[in-house]
Amino acid sequence: MKALVWVLALLAVAALAAVPFTLSPVLVQFGISTLLLAVLAQGWNIIGGFTGYASFGNSVFYGLGTYGTAVAMVQFKLPFAVGLAVGAAVSVLFALVLGLPVLRLRGHYFAITTLALSEAVAAIISNLDIAGRNTGLILPLIRGDTMFYELSLGLMVLATLTVLWLSRSRFGFGLIAIREREDAAEVMGIPTTLYKVLAFGLAALFSALAGGIHAYWITFIDPASAFDISLNVRMIIMAVFGGAGTVIGPVIGAFLLSGISEVLASYVTGVASLFFGLVIVAAVLFTPRGVIDAVRRLPRRGLAYFLDAVRETRL
Amino acid sequence: MLVLQVLANGILLGGLYAVVALGLALVWGVLDIINLAHGAFIMLGGYIAYYLFTGLGLDPFAALPLVMLAMFVIGYLIQWGILNFLVRAPMFNMLLVTFGIDVVLTYLAQILFSADLRAIRPSYAGSNFAVLGVTIPWANLMAFVVALLLTGLLALFLQRHRWGRAIRATAQNLDAARLHGVPPRFAYALTFGIGAAIAGGAGTLYGVVAQLTPYVGVPLTAKSFAIAIIGGLDNPLGVIVGGLVLGLAEAFGSLWLGPTYRDAVSLGLLVLVLIVRPTGILGRTV
Repeated sequence: MKALVWVLALLAVAALAAVPFTLSPVLVQFGISTLLLAVLAQGWNIIGGFTGYASFGNSVFYGLGTYGTAVAMVQFKLPFAVGLAVGAAVSVLFALVLGLPVLRLRGHYFAITTLALSEAVAAIISNLDIAGRNTGLILPLIRGDTMFYELSLGLMVLATLTVLWLSRSRFGFGLIAIREREDAAEVMGIPTTLYKVLAFGLAALFSALAGGIHAYWITFIDPASAFDISLNVRMIIMAVFGGAGTVIGPVIGAFLLSGISEVLASYVTGVASLFFGLVIVAAVLFTPRGVIDAVRRLPRRGLAYFLDAVRETRL
Repeated sequence: MLVLQVLANGILLGGLYAVVALGLALVWGVLDIINLAHGAFIMLGGYIAYYLFTGLGLDPFAALPLVMLAMFVIGYLIQWGILNFLVRAPMFNMLLVTFGIDVVLTYLAQILFSADLRAIRPSYAGSNFAVLGVTIPWANLMAFVVALLLTGLLALFLQRHRWGRAIRATAQNLDAARLHGVPPRFAYALTFGIGAAIAGGAGTLYGVVAQLTPYVGVPLTAKSFAIAIIGGLDNPLGVIVGGLVLGLAEAFGSLWLGPTYRDAVSLGLLVLVLIVRPTGILGRTV
């Protein structure tokens, strides 16, 4: 059974890797943005799904990765790989330094503080000369959707493997213990502060790398798009829709929701967003524990699964 | 003189901010639900008032009770029909559903009302008066007074009225409230309905002093968060403090640092308050 899962996973990755060589360029572009969204959802999964901290600051990490890469490449003429590293370093450093005070807050308070941080950082960036102020930066142009696609795929696989490691390592168990009951985890001897800050840093790493790749691919960045808070909301939706705290859930969520919104956008152009909102409401109502959980139990429970899910969370 | 004018602007803005955040703070403090659709409720209330004004010629301040009644019904139904089913689910789920409702309301508004800028402009909209060289628009002053009135009424209702006490009991201990005969589903729906009604009232005032588009919701939700946090959730009067602090900080922030730093000032303030005093300025110390 275990071997079968691994073989299936490898086959899926191989099939995804073959997409640029077999399918249309439009699909490749859709693939790049979906893969990067999956990376972001996976990054949120580390701090939100595993550690239980509803971070709205992941879009800051993404934005800092975007800007770190762009500033290194445009202002200092460094190669892309170095730019990516700079962006990731800036973002992780930010997460570690800010994580210390901010991760002391719990529940909604943490959520709101990270929300405010993202707005504040965006405002600071848009006043910095080196970051091109409000107008943003234009990166050197490069043609090569295939390269970006494979890079994004590699990053997504890396992020998923990291989460897989979390799901079976001492560190990951520590994070889950913090999510379930932080005081108890502390009493059990888990260094909660260290673990939380490390999880924050790990989330920052993947978000920043996704941001750097996206910046070079799209070749133009500005504060409004780099620090877009709705991107953070999308990460959360994808992770929760697929199954927060699971290994593959956020990836499934990213693919399903990107697919749904793409199909809606092409068939019911005018009201696509409306339907997207309705899909979210219905999905959360009937599969409150994510699609992965539903798929796992639906065959055995049948339609009763949905009724039980609703009954379980009802007031 | 400039400082006095900015001070007056900040205070007037702060009063409006207080009522903008009031519904969110109530729902958050009592039900522990962060309603991401709060700004969309404000937007919707503004549009109802706008159409009552342009269609029936109803003065926005006279239309206020009607708008609030309509929004109460909408809020009550949303809590009763959707949110009550998620109360015991993880916190993210509630965030997601209210976000979904926000998206639905925003795009419904875009389809029904179009994306054009709308403003409620009664005949007295442009007129103002001067005190000590400070210009004060009548409409803003009236909005300020009504905002304070609504906040005071809510505080009184929660303190004195039978249902208000039931709502506070639910907030303190759901099981104990249930044992004392408070039907929880009704108490939740009632609270959410009141929150939506106040949001509708805020939307009416907002439409009088500013302009409406289907997209004003999200920034208003974000500001409401900041205000609720700064003031604290224990006390409805906290939002007045939070609103005034934010209004003044924004007014003086754009005077001294320039308008581009306005949002950074208010949000930096929010982070500071959270780290130094996580229960808000008026909140109890832990």
